Amino acid sequence: MMSRLCEWLEQVPWIVTITNSAVLISLVWLAHYFGFFLLVGTTAVVDLRVLGAAPRNQKLAPLAGQLFPLAWTGLGLVIASGFIMFAGQATTFYPTAVFRIKMGMVLLAIVFGVIVQRKLPAWDRAPSVPAAAKWLALASLVLWIGAILAGLEVPAFIPV
Amino acid sequence: MHTWLVGICDRLQNVRVVVWLVTAQYAYPFIQWIHFTGLSLWLGTTLALDFRLLGPGKRFQTAAELSDALFSWNWLGLCIAVLGGFTLFATAAVGYIDNPAFRLKLGVLLPLALAWHIFVQRKSRTWGRAPETPTVAKLAGLTEIVLWVSVATAAVWIPNY
Repeated sequence: MMSRLCEWLEQVPWIVTITNSAVLISLVWLAHYFGFFLLVGTTAVVDLRVLGAAPRNQKLAPLAGQLFPLAWTGLGLVIASGFIMFAGQATTFYPTAVFRIKMGMVLLAIVFGVIVQRKLPAWDRAPSVPAAAKWLALASLVLWIGAILAGLEVPAFIPV
Repeated sequence: MHTWLVGICDRLQNVRVVVWLVTAQYAYPFIQWIHFTGLSLWLGTTLALDFRLLGPGKRFQTAAELSDALFSWNWLGLCIAVLGGFTLFATAAVGYIDNPAFRLKLGVLLPLALAWHIFVQRKSRTWGRAPETPTVAKLAGLTEIVLWVSVATAAVWIPNY
């Protein structure tokens, strides 16, 4: 079922056009890069602040409020461009273990990101950040950075 | 000059650790990883300030406050990106110095974007005092976004030569 879907995806005309054009596929890569720069960069700063790494005694909620919209914009870019990158080589990517691990990490990181965003105002009001919040922030940080590594390792692990 | 540069690049490329990084299975993506993790921190925080100067969406902080909160992470990110970038360069130095896209990136676009970034970051202290930023600040922020996109475009084009 899934392999059929992957075969079909690879043949979709506009995906074939983009995949076979050096200029168009480079633009898609560029969107993917900028998407995760925005997503991971801003999320990492919030996570590090929850973990207690702060240059000065500043309130966390205003900074997070400023950064979250950029993180979600980045996520949108990453998903749209990532889908095109996947679709062009769907039958190659789908069975690759590292690719599946990456997708798992991304999904889990998104869930953790939503929890951090929802709980953050309460954590910020508390006299000290709860231990559970720190574990959540650490997990989010490790998952996003790990997802970048997993993504870069995908070409090395594609079964021949 | 060119022969001298090629000589240095050739020696760099043959440093034992560099050779190991190229030949060892699964090692190369780790260097890319350092570069991209650094870039995420560097550009994530840089673009956050640029977008704040441009001013769409809700305003929780002034540009000056945001710049202040991101400053350390911003430069830490650049240090990590440069560390990874230099190592990536070392793995194929001789090829890189004659690559037109690489030369455009390192010789023109990157210094320009970096200088512009320092200018914007310094100016954001005055531009960013009030919630609404002046027009010049918006233009400066937009220019910086364009500059970094051009740096990355040149980088993405390197393998096509």
